[in-house]
This record gives sequence, C-alpha cells and structure tokens, in this order.
Amino acid sequence: MTPSDASGFTPADESLDDVDLELLDGIREVFQAIDPMPADLPERIRFCLALRGLEVEVARLAAEESQPSLAVRGAELSRTITFDSDSLTIMIRIDPNLDGTARVDGWLAPPERREIEMKTAADSLTVASDEQGRFAFDRVPRGMAQLVVRSAESEQSGAGRSVVTPALIL
Amino acid sequence: MDDRTPVRVRASQPERTERIARLVNAARQGSDAALGEIVTELSPLLWQVARAAGLNVSDAEDVLQTVWMRLLAHLDGIHTSEALTAWLVITTKREAWRVSAAGRRQLPADNEVFSMLPDQGPGSEEQVIVDDQRRILWQAIGQLSPRCQELLRIIAFVPRPDYTALAAELGMPAGSIGPTRGRCLAKLRALLAGDLEGSSQ
Repeated sequence: MTPSDASGFTPADESLDDVDLELLDGIREVFQAIDPMPADLPERIRFCLALRGLEVEVARLAAEESQPSLAVRGAELSRTITFDSDSLTIMIRIDPNLDGTARVDGWLAPPERREIEMKTAADSLTVASDEQGRFAFDRVPRGMAQLVVRSAESEQSGAGRSVVTPALIL
Repeated sequence: MDDRTPVRVRASQPERTERIARLVNAARQGSDAALGEIVTELSPLLWQVARAAGLNVSDAEDVLQTVWMRLLAHLDGIHTSEALTAWLVITTKREAWRVSAAGRRQLPADNEVFSMLPDQGPGSEEQVIVDDQRRILWQAIGQLSPRCQELLRIIAFVPRPDYTALAAELGMPAGSIGPTRGRCLAKLRALLAGDLEGSSQ
C-alpha cells in the first residue's frame, strides 16, 4: 500500500489492489449481464434532451395503466398515463387507431388553455387545450414521442416555464 | 485449478474522466453531440443506481430521463467529471426514492445512502451468466449484505477517480466509505475463496 498523500488521508483508490480491481470489473460484467440497461434508453434520453435551451419543468410519471382497447380488437391496449409536475398534472389516454397511428386524448389540471406540442421522431404536432384543459391529437405516428405543454401567456408575470414529459413509446 | 480470470487491460480511468470533463465543458457551451456522448457514457451507471434502489424497469427508465432533463438546468454549475458523476448519482437516488415513496412501498426509516435493498438475489438470473467464474462471482455477491451488494454494484460502474468526490457529495468523509468498500470487497474475496474450495470437491 502506498503512503498517504499530503492531504492527510489515503485516497480511497490506493487501497484497491489488482485483485480488487479485477473483482470490480467482474461485478460490472455480472450486472451488465443480468440487468442490462435497455439498449434504446440512451436514444430516448437524447431525444428528451433536444429541449435544452427551453426553460422547462420536468413532469414525472405518476401512474400508468392499461386496459383492452374498445376501438380496436386484438391485443392492442388503451393506456392511461398521468404525469405530475410542480405546477401541472397531465393525464393522457393513448388509443390505437385502425390505421396504425395512435390517438392521444389529454387533460390538464388545473384546467387551462395552453399550447401543447407532441414531439415525435419525425416532426412535431401542436394543438391547444380548451378551457376545461382538454386536448386531443387524432393521429400520432407510432414510436417515440414527448409532450411539451408550452408556458402560459407571457403577459402573466411569474408564469413562463414549459412543462415536459419523459419520452413515451406510442 | 485455474481460479484466476485472465488479466485484462483496463481502460485508463484517468483518461476517461478527462474525456468526460472535456465533454462537460463542450456540453455547457451548447454542444448537443457532447451531451449525447455523456449520456452514452454515464447512463449505464445510473441504470444500476436506479435498479439497485429497487425500481422496476419502467420506473427506472422514467427516472433516468427525468434526471438527465433536470441536469440541463444544473449544467452551468458543473465543471468536472467528478462533480457530474456525483450530481447524477445523487439525483438518481433522490428520484428513485421519490418514485418509491409515491408508489408501492414505504421508505425505511433509515435513510442511509447505501441502505436501500436491491431486490435482486441469485435466481433465474444465473441462467444468463454462462461463464463459470462469473456465475461463482454472482453467487458470492448474493451472499453479501444488501448494503455491500448495492455499494459494490454502484462502485463497479463509477469512473474510478470520481469515487472520492462521490463519497464526499454523499455526505460521507472519504475515509469512511473507503473502508466500507474495502470490507465489502474483503468479504467477497473470502466468499470466493470458500466457493472455490467447495467447487473443487
């Protein structure tokens, strides 16, 4: 073992010998094998990070449930997902369309008129919520998507942060 | 009996942290490519942190996205690989606790950083580990205390020179977490020595 450095304690790494380092390599390999990160996760994260520059409030997944879709027979499920942020709750229901796209119905709480963007890998769709906070996207291409609830009117002082959700797989 | 893994050439860890530091600086100046590379570099670590905290796969995916999005607002104050790793690991832990608290489980009263139990133990996972030595290692890990399991699981993915900074950020003097790690590794080595004797019969 090497002596302590000038700061008076032995840096933690110096207590590791080659067998320890090899063991840590082995531990890393074992956990990579039994519990690998989903291969597409970094891509989804990079997709979300394309929003940088925007002052955003991050909404977190609060609940998700699935039930058999009434609209389309077969294994397709209708999903209801709730996101919470400090200022807003966003609830969406995703239903499969017959043409292979997805319909997304959403509600904002507290209800208000906001501009709402659905970012997809190809482009983005924009709708507005009504006074009850309801909004709908009729046809969203399958794949990765992310909701951005644009900031409220800029004339309201204090308002101003957009609320974004994590990437969804539609 | 061949009880040693072949010597592997380790990627130079100081080189890795210097590279990450350069990427952090580029990302702070607006490079999306650099930010993307950081995501590639450090997400596997954060995945293990989230899973070791007991999150299921979809919660862990969500937490990682949240953490990276939250980083955007904090990037200006982060200048080194050490600071970045520490911020990401701690924020991932906090987000994981938040999700756990909001969801299925109550948090244990003991809020100690490395006390969360991984819900992993040796089981069917062994089937995916084909290599004998790795299977023996996995079985030995399963006999460690939950605290040691989580600690070693996370440390194994941390760029090594960042470790001391991480310990400090987690509110532990570097001298206290080091010996814990040392004890966990010593215990693992003892278990492996025992297993190897047992397997030679």
